[in-house]
Amino acid sequence: MPKIEIDGIEVECRDGITVLQAALEAGWSVPHYCYHPGLSVVASCRLCLMEMQMPSPKGGGMEWSSKLVPSCQVPVKNGLVVRFASDQVKRNQRRVMEFLLLNHPLDCPVCDQAGECLLQDYSYEFGDPTSRMRDEKHKSPKKDIGPRTLLYSDRCVLCTRCVRFTREITGTHDLCVTHRGSENEIDVFPGKALDNPLQGNVVDLCPVGALLDKDFLFKQRVWFLKRTKSICPGCSTGCAVSVDSNEGVVYRLKPRYNPGVNDWWMCDEGRFGWKYMHDANRITAPVIRRGGVTGTPPWDSVPEIVDARLRAVIEAHGPDKVAVVLSPMMACEEAWLLVRFLRSVASEATLVLGPVPIQGQLQMFPVGSTGDAVRFTIRREKCPNRRGVETIIAETGGPTLSFEVFCEQATAGAFAAAWIVGGYPEPWVTKDFAKAVGQLEFVVAQDLFPNEVTEVATLVLPACGFAQREGSFMNFGGRIQPFDRAIAPPDGAKGDGQYLYELAGFTGLYSGRAVREMMAQEIHLFSMVKEAPPMPVHQH
Amino acid sequence: MAWPTIDRQSPVTDSDAPPLLSDEVKAKIRSFFERYETRRAALLPALHVVQESLGYISWRAMDEVATVLDIPASEVFDVVTFYTHYWTKPRGKKTIVVCRSITCELMGAGVLLEAFKRHLGVGEGETTPDGAYSLATEECLAQCDHAPCVLINEKKHGRVKPDDVPALLADPDNDKLEVPRSDLYDPVLGEDATTRPRGGERKG
Ligand code: SF4
Ligand code: FES
Ligand code: FES
Repeated sequence: MPKIEIDGIEVECRDGITVLQAALEAGWSVPHYCYHPGLSVVASCRLCLMEMQMPSPKGGGMEWSSKLVPSCQVPVKNGLVVRFASDQVKRNQRRVMEFLLLNHPLDCPVCDQAGECLLQDYSYEFGDPTSRMRDEKHKSPKKDIGPRTLLYSDRCVLCTRCVRFTREITGTHDLCVTHRGSENEIDVFPGKALDNPLQGNVVDLCPVGALLDKDFLFKQRVWFLKRTKSICPGCSTGCAVSVDSNEGVVYRLKPRYNPGVNDWWMCDEGRFGWKYMHDANRITAPVIRRGGVTGTPPWDSVPEIVDARLRAVIEAHGPDKVAVVLSPMMACEEAWLLVRFLRSVASEATLVLGPVPIQGQLQMFPVGSTGDAVRFTIRREKCPNRRGVETIIAETGGPTLSFEVFCEQATAGAFAAAWIVGGYPEPWVTKDFAKAVGQLEFVVAQDLFPNEVTEVATLVLPACGFAQREGSFMNFGGRIQPFDRAIAPPDGAKGDGQYLYELAGFTGLYSGRAVREMMAQEIHLFSMVKEAPPMPVHQH
Repeated sequence: MAWPTIDRQSPVTDSDAPPLLSDEVKAKIRSFFERYETRRAALLPALHVVQESLGYISWRAMDEVATVLDIPASEVFDVVTFYTHYWTKPRGKKTIVVCRSITCELMGAGVLLEAFKRHLGVGEGETTPDGAYSLATEECLAQCDHAPCVLINEKKHGRVKPDDVPALLADPDNDKLEVPRSDLYDPVLGEDATTRPRGGERKG
């Protein structure tokens, strides 16, 4: 590990990084726009400049170089001596900030980025409070560059992070820098809009308010948002994300750095795939059907109802006539609790993994890349936890069936009762499945939206969206990733984990972590949870 | 103040229109490929050929060049707008370029530019209604020793005074080169080496 000296302090740093990264990791606050650890280094913004010791041209030892050098471009090397705490460095930061703000409209009060803007932060920390610009500002236009993204080019600092993203990560080359000098602008070729499956990341990358997300535009001030660690349930990749919410409403998803899975990025499908959680059609309260009469049972009567009805079925038909259809949308903890409960009542209950939604093609980026060159993958399996639920089924043992065989056998009358978990944002009940369910005497349906199964089920329990639950998902590669609850379940509903916890005979509040610890006693694998590491430095 | 948003989602080129680049132009561009390791590297000469042939480089031309070179259209847009030598609007038969860099400025280029504007009746970046002249400015034309200097097409004129402007504009040979153009510059096939028709006279 190389040791370098920054401002007279010895710093030990990771191999192969730049002085800027080393300084940031060691706690220095160094302004930087064009540098982003996920992109190539261009050293164009000149904000991160430092002083460095170099061999004296007169010979005999080292001396401070007369010119400043970009710290984002100098690799760390044992014995390197640099400084940021110098008048020359500070003066440069002030002047660069002044240049960047020459033509900036200073419209923070109406800018979505306010509150998470590096122009604001750096102006405050490194800039001058006033501008000496007397000429009229050059006003660059606002551009509608894609179906989801707006470009306010007058706020742009030309760091080119966005351009490099579409060249290096997506390989779609949508964005470019046009014109020259003070007329420089980011643009797309007219008619070839910014519309690639990862385009939302350019909004995250933009250090200022130039690239903005139309979906989030003017919806919420960022300082009102509560940030919760979550995992995107959109596909089996399992990107680490943050859910940004306020007063029980989700406003946006942002990727969270996880080098083992998604680096700094996420796809648009996941980014905008949470809207169903606030859909007015959702099932929000339990429903019971008794002899043609439909009612809403109080939550605390649910365990009794389920228990009594299941026992009745078992008595009449035998303990092997019960099945549970688990959903790959469930958290590991939820699946484990449900299996544990059902097997405690019906010891020979059959475990079935519900349908695994497969859609489209495996998408690898940059487009056309293979092997090690792949920087991001969107998977076909549009659910977060097939592997987790499969693991629980396999480790629990006892009778299991595939979904197809279960449908056939249930249609043929092999089962009398079933607990069916959905939780898919899209309609998922097939004709065959509805027919199979029609044969059953007692059905508990746990789902987000009304469908052919919830229409006939004896008991319907509301399921919650991922941001309303907590637990863990096992991604395509077997990585178990915990996620936290961002918002409360809708009024009247209860979190899936909570009622399954109560059914399984526990009292008090459900906690993903506590259940995971219990699970780990039985299934050792679940002790190996992999959290995304903290962001190495303050970066967005 | 209303702040219009530029629509970049809709195409600006008509996809049904016949191709703009002639086979001859495309063949010429392809003939550059062997010179470079990548096709992208042939972009600058390709753009010169296109500009020679069409007088300027339209959106559609950029798109077609991108297809010939197999590079993204956004990168062609990027390069075309970076260089002031490439025109993105139609221009007159002759283009007058007045140097706006420091030496010429000190020697009176500003007044000279005003004289051109007055005599032509157009501003910078504009074309006279009869299509005869377009007026532009450019950074240092590398003729500082003859400042203030002007280019008419590729012919240079040094030490031009505002009073010289009417005579200069009246001279039909004001763009006639004394020496043949270098063939390194890749004129379009079969072109007369000493005068170079531009703009309005489209080929093929
Ligand atoms: S739009 Fe944002 S990310 Fe792109 S160059 Fe401008 S400031 Fe940088
Ligand atoms: S961050 Fe180093 S020059 Fe931009
Ligand atoms: S400044 Fe005009 S030619 Fe150099």
